[in-house]
Amino acid sequence: MDIDTETQQQNLTTQIVTPGSAITSDPAFMRGHGTFGEHGTIYSSVAGVVERINKLVSVRSLKQRYSGEIGDIVVGRITEVASKRWRVDVNSRQDAMLLLSSINLPGGIQRRKSESDELQMRSFFAEGDLVFAEVQSYFADGALSLHTRSIQYGKLRNGTFVSVFPQLVPRSRSHFHTLPCGVDVVLGVNGYIWVSKHVPAAKVEANAEHIYSNKNEEISETERESIARVANCIQLLNRLYVKITDTTIIFAYEASLGHAVKDLLTMDIATDLAHAVNSRLAQQG
Amino acid sequence: MTSLILSPAEQDFITRGVEGGFRADGRGSLDRRQVTLRTNMISQANGSARCRMGHLNVGTDVLVGIKAEVNTWTPGEPDNIGSIVCNVECSPSAAQEFEGRGADELNIELTQLLDRILNGPQSGICLEKLCIIPKQAYWVLHIDALVLDVKGGIVDTLIWATRAALLSTKLPRVVVESIEDEDGNLQSEFDVVDDAEDQIAVEGVNNLPLTVTFNQIGKRYVIDASEQEEAATQARITVAVSPSMDICAVQKSGILRGFSPSLLTEILHTACKIAREEFSRFKDTFAAVLSNQSSNEANTGSTFLGAF
Repeated sequence: MDIDTETQQQNLTTQIVTPGSAITSDPAFMRGHGTFGEHGTIYSSVAGVVERINKLVSVRSLKQRYSGEIGDIVVGRITEVASKRWRVDVNSRQDAMLLLSSINLPGGIQRRKSESDELQMRSFFAEGDLVFAEVQSYFADGALSLHTRSIQYGKLRNGTFVSVFPQLVPRSRSHFHTLPCGVDVVLGVNGYIWVSKHVPAAKVEANAEHIYSNKNEEISETERESIARVANCIQLLNRLYVKITDTTIIFAYEASLGHAVKDLLTMDIATDLAHAVNSRLAQQG
Repeated sequence: MTSLILSPAEQDFITRGVEGGFRADGRGSLDRRQVTLRTNMISQANGSARCRMGHLNVGTDVLVGIKAEVNTWTPGEPDNIGSIVCNVECSPSAAQEFEGRGADELNIELTQLLDRILNGPQSGICLEKLCIIPKQAYWVLHIDALVLDVKGGIVDTLIWATRAALLSTKLPRVVVESIEDEDGNLQSEFDVVDDAEDQIAVEGVNNLPLTVTFNQIGKRYVIDASEQEEAATQARITVAVSPSMDICAVQKSGILRGFSPSLLTEILHTACKIAREEFSRFKDTFAAVLSNQSSNEANTGSTFLGAF
């Protein structure tokens, strides 16, 4: 009997399913996320991998939208300026909100937001702008409320945007990394990633008046190449389904140095690099 | 084409990159992304092809099917030529804004462009050979394209797929018989041979043009723009070049700006230069597709996880 459940567990965990495939008809199991029951059988409602924890059977989908949690660091794109708030696309089921009351004013002035602030909301964030923010709370309908009340949050400049699967970006202590190659990376938990030229924190603080500026700094050829290389590395990790953390990005970057930047996104080289990253990860244990 | 809005900082980053000749993904201004091609994926069609242009097999994806049909001549139509009917449709699965009627405008634009390139002597296809009996019957080639994914540069992908589909098209052979009726007049009759082995290629498909689409960003231009580059584009021009290096169609789109005459001349010259490389690339890709297919007969189009 023991062996029986053992093999069954094996079968269940390595099973890849599509919507509507029967997972089990054993009444001992309970339905988890990504499944539905009909006539005593549990079916998958998504395409993914079957997971079993004790008696709970769930399916982890291969592709999913971002579901937020309070405290998450996200990157979002402003889609609409509404009254006293911005609507932000964060790769979630619905747009997140950024309230006028939860942003910092230029220069870090502390005061209540007045009507004149409301009139010049577009000078802070306009449609299309990318913001670096933290999830503050939920609204009643499940939409996320963001805030940018920190000097490191706010408008993103000096770089390029990469979108990846949100499930590949694990939650960790830090989501803002300065890589050894002189590139800053903001790993939004929602799968939106910002790769930019490194700007020292002291300089950012000195420019507190200009936190909403749209002007890029001067970016040299070599800096541009590093940014492109990092962006391409992230893209290939995403496509080959490797976890995206500062470690894997650095591994991929180092492994990629032998190739030209534009060749990184050809299938053969990308596969080689992903294998190199995976084996280095395995070495680290 | 898509409704992506960039932030001013991103626009500036892309523009300065293009002006410096180093794009956001590391390509130079005149570099293309990878192309994946496959032909004869639709068994009911006379010819079909699927082409995908993009990095790591994710990119603009177009499926083209060609169906040949015999039409009876009606007065008012040209006497002795066949015809080509194009239809391009953007699937709502490609982008959210194609939902409902959102793709209508783009569908019409692409259909018209394809029609202008193909339906006439500039296409290189011998339309006279598509005529079966003058003033009686002719072939109609229905070219139906479905855009399955959009990641920038729809037109070039569409033309690649169409060219590959036309090259793989096989028409049934037609036997024409002339019979003398009782008044001594010659009457022609035709018979379509229903034999999968006895089929002929469309005359003149090797003369079909390829297109190069230029996107002007800042003071310079790029070919095969990515989705983000397209959002930063001020003006766009598609140049169709035939294998004999003649420019056979030009279409400008994008309403933000125009081209200066000097830039336009430069673009036309560059188009011919790129087209030369494109044709040899197309030839190599197409030959590789054919040799792959003869070794692997099972052609279901359903291997979406791999390179089709």
